[in-house]
Amino acid sequence: MKTAKHGFKASLLRHETILLFVVVLEWLYFNSVGPRFGSVDNTFNILRHSVEIGLLALVMTPIILMGGIDLSVGSLLGLCAILFGKFWRDMDMPIPLAAACTLGVGALAGGLNASLVTWLRLPPLIVTLGTFSLFRGLAEAITRGVDTFTNFPASFLFLGQERWLGIPAQAPIFIVVAVGIWLLVHRTTFGRSFRAIGFAPEGARYAGMPVERRLAMAYVLAGIVAAVAAIIYTSRLGQAKADAGMGYELFAITAVVLGGTSIFGGIGSVHGTLLGVAAVAILKNGLFQARQPEEFADMLTGVLLILALASSLIPKMLASLKARRQTSFTKPIST
Amino acid sequence: MKKYFRELSVAGALIVVLLALAVFAPAFFQPQPLLSLLTREAPTLVVACGMALVIICRQIDISVGSQFAVCSVTAGLLAAKGLPLPLTFLASVAIGAGMGMLNGLLVAGLRLPSIVVTLATMVTWREALRWLRQGQFVNLPDGTQWLGLSQPAGQWTLIVTAIILLVALALATKHLTAGRFIYAVGTDAEAARLAGIRPQLTTFCVFAFLGALVGLAAMMNVVQSPQVDPKSGSGLELKVIAAAVVGGVAIAGGRGNLLGVFAGLLLLACISPALTHLRVEAYWEKAIQGAIILLAVVADGVRSRKQSHSHG
Amino acid sequence: MKHTLSLLLVAGLVTVSGCGKSDSTGNPASGSGNGKKITIGLMPKSKGNAYFISCKKGADKAAQELGVDLVFNGPTDPDPAKQNEIVENWITLGVDAIAVACENREGISTALRKAKSKGIKVITYDADAQPDAREFFVNQATPEGIGFTLMDEAARLCGNEGEFAIITASLTAANMIEWQKHIEARRSSKYPNMKMIALRPCDDLKDKAQSEATALMSANPNLKCIMAICSPAVPGAAEAVKQAGKTGKVKVLGLGLPNENKRYVHEGVTDSVILWNTEDLGYLTIYSANALAKGTLKAGDKSIKAGAIGEFQIEGDSILLGKPFIFNKDNIDKFDF
Repeated sequence: MKTAKHGFKASLLRHETILLFVVVLEWLYFNSVGPRFGSVDNTFNILRHSVEIGLLALVMTPIILMGGIDLSVGSLLGLCAILFGKFWRDMDMPIPLAAACTLGVGALAGGLNASLVTWLRLPPLIVTLGTFSLFRGLAEAITRGVDTFTNFPASFLFLGQERWLGIPAQAPIFIVVAVGIWLLVHRTTFGRSFRAIGFAPEGARYAGMPVERRLAMAYVLAGIVAAVAAIIYTSRLGQAKADAGMGYELFAITAVVLGGTSIFGGIGSVHGTLLGVAAVAILKNGLFQARQPEEFADMLTGVLLILALASSLIPKMLASLKARRQTSFTKPIST
Repeated sequence: MKKYFRELSVAGALIVVLLALAVFAPAFFQPQPLLSLLTREAPTLVVACGMALVIICRQIDISVGSQFAVCSVTAGLLAAKGLPLPLTFLASVAIGAGMGMLNGLLVAGLRLPSIVVTLATMVTWREALRWLRQGQFVNLPDGTQWLGLSQPAGQWTLIVTAIILLVALALATKHLTAGRFIYAVGTDAEAARLAGIRPQLTTFCVFAFLGALVGLAAMMNVVQSPQVDPKSGSGLELKVIAAAVVGGVAIAGGRGNLLGVFAGLLLLACISPALTHLRVEAYWEKAIQGAIILLAVVADGVRSRKQSHSHG
Repeated sequence: MKHTLSLLLVAGLVTVSGCGKSDSTGNPASGSGNGKKITIGLMPKSKGNAYFISCKKGADKAAQELGVDLVFNGPTDPDPAKQNEIVENWITLGVDAIAVACENREGISTALRKAKSKGIKVITYDADAQPDAREFFVNQATPEGIGFTLMDEAARLCGNEGEFAIITASLTAANMIEWQKHIEARRSSKYPNMKMIALRPCDDLKDKAQSEATALMSANPNLKCIMAICSPAVPGAAEAVKQAGKTGKVKVLGLGLPNENKRYVHEGVTDSVILWNTEDLGYLTIYSANALAKGTLKAGDKSIKAGAIGEFQIEGDSILLGKPFIFNKDNIDKFDF
């Protein structure tokens, strides 16, 4: 019997394929409703506005695949942004050095999450809830709330605001990170263990996988990518402030879950996350171009999330119906 | 004694903070401002109790802030239209319970993960309210504030209500079978099911109950002033989850008690006024909050590591 | 294989749909001479804010009178980049003019400069961007005027000496930082016997402002006055003073909406509510944006006529609504917003 995993019909019913249809439908619909929607400018806008969130969603995927979660990435973005500004302005570092130091800070912060989750075996939800407050709080404390960093050199601002070889300049970074994480999760044995770990951590441990080490690496990676996102954000905005990135973690989780990754771990994909980011970004932009108020876009995103979750139940329900039909001939021994 | 180690250590931390205030800023202990502080925290305590039950049941609900806002504004509008106060209370509780039941249906009925479901409902309710209300306050009719009583009477009524609820729930979770069901489901839903408990029903009820408590808390907040801010309840979910966690409720479910939550809430609620009294700049507040949460969780982790090592 | 197929599908889709769409690099219709309706994008600092809704009321009136298309949209979450994204989306949408109340002075300037370079007319209102990013700033009053009026009123209420505290929305809000600078400048130059002893944020929440005010009064028994410079904080602080039984002993004043404060003003808790006619601000903003788009308003003009509300002075590139207006017991009932 052919396993349900392969085959054209099965691939039609996969979550990612359905999501792809949704994205295509969204595109077609908004294209017809919004006069400027499908234009190159607008598409690049969607791309440029989604890069930082996309990076966070991408790097959260391995963590969630392993059954963890990271609520602190948005706050870490804010902290890295102002530290980047501080390194450059107050410590007179040239931009590349400031960027490197910021990545270091991101790694350290990710390391904090990593050590609390893996070494002390604390629940990731609470640890990252604590660091969510702590990182944002540190950002506010360092800037005393009021300090902002601006007047970056034009060569730096190029990254976030201009086009390079015809596409937005931050796009290559995004593509590199996206491809990198996709390869990591889907093509390396290292990455393939993520799903096993998420599915059954004890089993993975018995199988000899270094569960803690992999989980720790995922958190550190998240910290580094959050720092990258912070630098791109600062370049796009031309300003670094303590409240940068507020709310990004929830958007990232939405994109990841929308993309078919189970919040419990074990199931999911990176391309699903990318589709999830695209789905929400296109929805928001499309509604904007159709002159709908912002609140409406947010509400629809919430509804879309529930629908996506509920729809992932359909194959389960179908399977259990099928199983029930198959076993209806054999009655269990009654006690 | 060992069993209540966590709760006692939080109470201990609270006492340390209060002692520090007594030495460096005795002005903190004036009766009137303290009474105001406790009154303002009474609604939060009510929600924290409900949230603790949800967390003990191994779920989470991050939509309570939005629920609070919806209940507050709706209750305010109803009161402004002339609905008598007792009915307004009932209405608020009913609306809250309704929103809680929606969460419960999605989580228990459809078996969807609670963090994502409540994320979605949080955003949906919040944005719908924002769209409809656009920031406008609701002016309450005279006689709504303090339930028509004098200010001290009203304040004490609210505080006592919250305390009675806390004690009742603490006893109920310990002695009522329904209370034990929550712990059982939170520890191991499958084992509970085999023991004859219905985990899905329990989960549903816990969400509905939290919603009802949010509705009650929203009214308790509404009667404290003559206007309703549609942004009220902002940040509530973080506050109550932090209070529960600091108070010893385990995110993995099955553990924790409401008295610990009470201590955790008081500790966290003291931070802001303590900073004002100690003349510490406002921008330290979030960092300190985060540090306390982390300390509490780390203490948990260190202790359980020690325990697991000593048990071999 | 499956993935490559999807990628190709998506790429094809994007290319095909892009083919029929003109880019916004072509200049948006200037409105004059080809009969197309002028579109003006109006952005508040954030949505769900009663202050900006009252500005919008005036803006709607102006838009109706002028026959322009008004698009009103703003950020629903606190992330600083949101305002930029909305501006950039408006550029694509092809609006003729943009009027923004800026949350982040430098950040928004990035996007506004881009809009300017595409031929869109840019003005700011309520809170300014960097001067080179916009052509005019419709100012309800200069930050100096606002700061000075606040300080003057506070001093008047306190008899020119005593301690006062400021409650602001958030520590990062650019225009509030600006006002605080001018409050301090006025205080040090004219009222050296007044001391500012604390600055606390209320996150734009009335309830939090109430808690902060309670703590401030308890921590500082000599506190004479609370200056609430964000609108939900005025009723919040007033309620705190009332509940503490310190009506009359601790003065409350601030920048707030009349409707939210009528009760406290009549009860004598709040003495002065300082604001300006927000509807007029919105009205003037749209008239200015329209004039700019039509070309009737140019740099160097000294005044502008705005329909029903009259003529307004322009100082440099600031269009001035006037001076801050003080609402108190005698006049607050005349206003409804």
